[in-house]
Amino acid sequence: MENMLEIKDLHACINGKEILKGINLTVGAGEVHAIMGPNGSGKSTLATVLAGKENYEVTRGEVFFRGKNLLEMSPEERSWAGLFLGFQYPVEIPGVTNVNFMKAAVNEHRRQNQMPELSAAEYLKLMREKMAVVEMDPAFSSRGVNVGFSGGEKKRNEIFQMAMLDPKLAILDETDSGLDVDALRIVANGVNKLKNPDNAIIVITHYQRLLDYIIPDIVHVLYKGRIIKTAGKELAREVETRGYDWLINQ
Amino acid sequence: MSENYIYSPSVSNEFRCRVPLAGSRQFFIVDGQVQGGEKFIVPQETGLDFRLGKGETASDLLQFISVRSKERKENLSYRSRFELEESSSARILLCSHTLSSHHFMTDESVSIHLKANADLNMVVMQNEHDNSSHRTDFDVRLDAGAVLKMHLITLHGGEISNRLNIRLEGPAAECELSGLYLADGEQKVTTDVKLSHNVPGCRSSQLFKGVLDGRSLTRFDGLIYVAPDAQKTEAYQANHNLLISEDAKIYTRPHLEIYADDVKCSHGATVGSLNAEELFYMRTRGIALDEAKLLQQLAFAYQVLEKISNGQLRERLYDLTEKRLRGEFSRCSDCSRHCC
Ligand SMILES: Nc1ncnc2c1ncn2[C@@H]1O[C@H](COP(=O)(O)OP(=O)(O)O)[C@@H](O)[C@H]1O
Ligand SMILES: [Mg+2]
Repeated sequence: MENMLEIKDLHACINGKEILKGINLTVGAGEVHAIMGPNGSGKSTLATVLAGKENYEVTRGEVFFRGKNLLEMSPEERSWAGLFLGFQYPVEIPGVTNVNFMKAAVNEHRRQNQMPELSAAEYLKLMREKMAVVEMDPAFSSRGVNVGFSGGEKKRNEIFQMAMLDPKLAILDETDSGLDVDALRIVANGVNKLKNPDNAIIVITHYQRLLDYIIPDIVHVLYKGRIIKTAGKELAREVETRGYDWLINQ
Repeated sequence: MSENYIYSPSVSNEFRCRVPLAGSRQFFIVDGQVQGGEKFIVPQETGLDFRLGKGETASDLLQFISVRSKERKENLSYRSRFELEESSSARILLCSHTLSSHHFMTDESVSIHLKANADLNMVVMQNEHDNSSHRTDFDVRLDAGAVLKMHLITLHGGEISNRLNIRLEGPAAECELSGLYLADGEQKVTTDVKLSHNVPGCRSSQLFKGVLDGRSLTRFDGLIYVAPDAQKTEAYQANHNLLISEDAKIYTRPHLEIYADDVKCSHGATVGSLNAEELFYMRTRGIALDEAKLLQQLAFAYQVLEKISNGQLRERLYDLTEKRLRGEFSRCSDCSRHCC
């Protein structure tokens, strides 16, 4: 079976500073991977490079996403191909309402897939349905994207967007940070509802607690731009009790 | 579409707007000549006099559509006067268009006098061809308790210059002024505001925003003047500009001249470019770069348009703004006329 994502010896710099120092990672369809690691390890950098942010310079390595050379694609092409990034810090866009934002996104996806645009009524129905997945108040749809949203509301909005776009690979960067226990459960349940054998998820997190809900198949520890340990889900629990030092010192 | 609108009777078919706003009454001014007479207005040789009696309310949205046509290619100047007597109230839309791309030069003066407690809501929409050169001097006076809301929307035009001289001459007068100017190509837009608080206890606010592309050249000069005994004045002014291209130029100069001490005043100007973080976020959702840029420009412009209280008119202008920013002719949809 073809791999969903294949990262080979990926090096990336920002402002001349090398942050990713040779990442190797393979994700297959139907899999859930967790990436853990101390602050500043390069987890968000990896996620952002995969999403295609231009101010990171890839200096070495290659990435294939569903057989295509990911690094040659623009951010929007990556999205059309089925990649989704749930941001650690979702961006506020004053003046663009959530509804207009997602309508533009969904319809562009449909155009790219030679499907007709949704009518206003069809869109509304889909939006209501997907908002329910994360128990989001429909009133949010008329507000500016993430404007004045609490930390937890922003994270729910990320998962709502994921639900709308139905990606093949979702990279969720610290989707659990800033969530209380109830919100965490809602968001995690939302992600689990979206999970199926044809898609895959990479969960980036500091904490075991999210992984109690979204059970990973494989756990990686990223440290100083390299994956220093890969194991099964028990690794997350071990990190939770022992911290990272024992791994770093290995 | 609602049929609830009225044409000035003698307007020939040729000049009828095909997509009028419901609840509007339209007056046409072709090359400075008012087409037919009407309640409220007296045509002058060039321009018009508009007068609303004491306590009168004009219930319709009064739309003055001023066009320049190829019948008169020479430089034209005309003047209009709007006088609202005590406690009268009106909503007025002034549109200026060119019907062809000749080198029209227009020099216009608009004087507005709101007597005590009169209330005027005015939207000015300018949508002209690239070769037009149109200068408008607005001379505005507000007496005690008068309220003016004015929105100046410059969608398109070769060389558009708006000079506003607004005087608050009676206590408790209020002026809310907003403006949007869009310029690209070789277009030039100049905005000059002098807002004078000549008596105590008045309020004014100003918000002007510009989206500047191509090799356009834009100037904004805004002065708030507060006279020596105009205490308890509140006056705010902001000018924000979005530079889309590196070749567009903007000169902005907001300034204050304050001679009273018990006042609340602020002013500020910014020049920014598109927000890279927002663009990236939108693109990761599959919104293509050009569309993401457009959404951001529209969002920026909308902060001015949203101040227009007439919902229909606001939607129409939003639609025209979107078309304009997409690089299409900003005609009202369903209309085949080349107003611009
Ligand atoms: N714009 C930037 N310029 C320079 N260094 C940066 C920039 N952004 C992030 N970094 C550095 O990259 C490293 C990795 O950051 P990040 O990917 O956010 O880590 P993590 O998500 O694992 O906490 C950190 O040392 C951080 O300081
Ligand atoms: Mg991070």
